Amino acid sequence: MNAIPQLFFDAMSLGGIYAMAALGIALIFGVMNLVNFAHGEYIAFCVFALIVPSTDAVAVLFLGKAPALLLIPILLALGAAIAVASEFVVFRHMRKATPVAMMISSFALGFVIQNSLLLIYGSRPKAISLWPDLNKPVSVIGASVPLLQIIVILATLVVVVALALLLKKTKIGLEMRAAAENFTMARLLGVRANVVITGAFALSGALAAAVAMIMVTQTGVADIRMGGQIMLVAFIATVIGGLGSLPGAVAAGFLIGAASVILQAFLPLDARPFRDAFLYTFVIVILLVRPQGLFAAHSAKPRV
Amino acid sequence: MSKLGVFDVSVRYGKVPALTDVSLQIEEGERVFISGPNGAGKSSLLKAICGAVPTTHGRIEIGGMLVAGRPPEAIARLGMTMVPEGRDIFGTLTVEENLRVGTGIRRDRDAIESDIDEIYENFPILGERRQANAGALSGGQQQMLAIGRGLMTNPKVMMVDEPSLGLAPNIVDQVYETLIRLQKDRGLTLVIVEQSSARAARVGGRMVLLRGGTVVDEGDAAEFAERDLLKEAYFGQSAEEPA
Ligand SMILES: Nc1ncnc2c1ncn2[C@@H]1O[C@H](COP(=O)(O)OP(=O)(O)OP(=O)(O)O)[C@@H](O)[C@H]1O
Ligand SMILES: [Mg+2]
Repeated sequence: MNAIPQLFFDAMSLGGIYAMAALGIALIFGVMNLVNFAHGEYIAFCVFALIVPSTDAVAVLFLGKAPALLLIPILLALGAAIAVASEFVVFRHMRKATPVAMMISSFALGFVIQNSLLLIYGSRPKAISLWPDLNKPVSVIGASVPLLQIIVILATLVVVVALALLLKKTKIGLEMRAAAENFTMARLLGVRANVVITGAFALSGALAAAVAMIMVTQTGVADIRMGGQIMLVAFIATVIGGLGSLPGAVAAGFLIGAASVILQAFLPLDARPFRDAFLYTFVIVILLVRPQGLFAAHSAKPRV
Repeated sequence: MSKLGVFDVSVRYGKVPALTDVSLQIEEGERVFISGPNGAGKSSLLKAICGAVPTTHGRIEIGGMLVAGRPPEAIARLGMTMVPEGRDIFGTLTVEENLRVGTGIRRDRDAIESDIDEIYENFPILGERRQANAGALSGGQQQMLAIGRGLMTNPKVMMVDEPSLGLAPNIVDQVYETLIRLQKDRGLTLVIVEQSSARAARVGGRMVLLRGGTVVDEGDAAEFAERDLLKEAYFGQSAEEPA
């Protein structure tokens, strides 16, 4: 077996998941300066939407039984729906609140979603088998990788390209970018705040659903904690990337994915349990060198 | 109809009053200069009219429609556009993207492309740099872009806050020439914040003088210029002492 291609696929697929989660957070931060800590719970919500509500240890597929071509759009729409609903119920009423107040509300919202899921599904992680065939290994350039890894990498590429096209080529995309840079100015030019913010939440929620599908297929469990864990990494990625910068979020997602795979592979055995400590040291070093993140938002100041 | 009416409007930032009971009528197609010392409330007046800051008192009408309390995106749809102080260009967008941000509210979709071409004719440098990041433009170019961006909403009333700020005098001349030409071509109503009465007199129009958040004087710009010239002769260079 060839270790280097193997590492490459591991890094790219883990990075892809982080990148998608980080994009979901960066999109919302871009348009309303909100670090939405409920994002992880959108992911958990989408995971549990796949299975029949019960507290049993083995999950019975519910939505997850639908054929992929049907399931994927339904789950993306469901993710978009919960994100848009949370904007409508919570964040819309806080447009004038400070970023800190909004962030705390997002924590509260996250707890509400998490505890609702706990109530319905119980706290034990459940085995769940969505698209098990995707975990079969295929052989690529000398490495044996699960098909899913290839799909995750391709899916990330598709998502990133689609999002870039949407932002670059469509009217709503242009309005979102303008609003992300200067919301008041965009509104003075007739850009509707509600449309842009709802659009950002819908995209963010759909990204959460994509992450949910990938994580479930990869890990084979539905765990109430999986949202929080990935949220932490994704948040760090958005900070390293430069809060609000979409290319930054993607780059930092891949960077963290790669770093943790490489640390896992090359740390001495005794040190591996402390992999995350090394990882976060690496994060701190980056932030010490570039506190504004890798891709700080451009300045509109004229260069006279 | 795009008559602009401001009736007893007050604006405050927390406890700080910026405007107190300001009234002002502007006719369709008119050119009005708003002048006054720093902190007089000129920008606040413009911002109140286009909905960027809330009013605490009074009403504002555009073409007989009550606008106070409406969000800025709704006021833009009534044909009001503002070129803010400091221009607020979208620096991460290209020049052409900046021009397109405000076209979403237009009903005459067919005219958008020809309007963009027209702006490139008026400001050739913008045409040359249409794919460049707007943040890389010089101050004068950004001012032109900000004006072009406002025009792309197809407005009836255009308010420009201190177009001369930070620009070399010859660039300011160029900006004003273009503003006047555009006003003639399109029958725009123009409201311009301009501290220099001499410049306002050269361009021509009515002048409204604000001080401490209220209108203290109003008349032909030429009269103000003459008076300021006299004051200058008597008291030295500073014609307008700070409030
Ligand atoms: N965002 C704000 N928060 C608090 N006070 C403000 C704010 N903006 C303006 N002010 C205050 O309101 C008053 C009027 O300000 P405004 O910007 O309207 O004046 P201006 O005539 O445009 O001044 P300048 O010539 O400096 O542009 C000033 O006292 C200013 O300090
Ligand atoms: Mg001002």
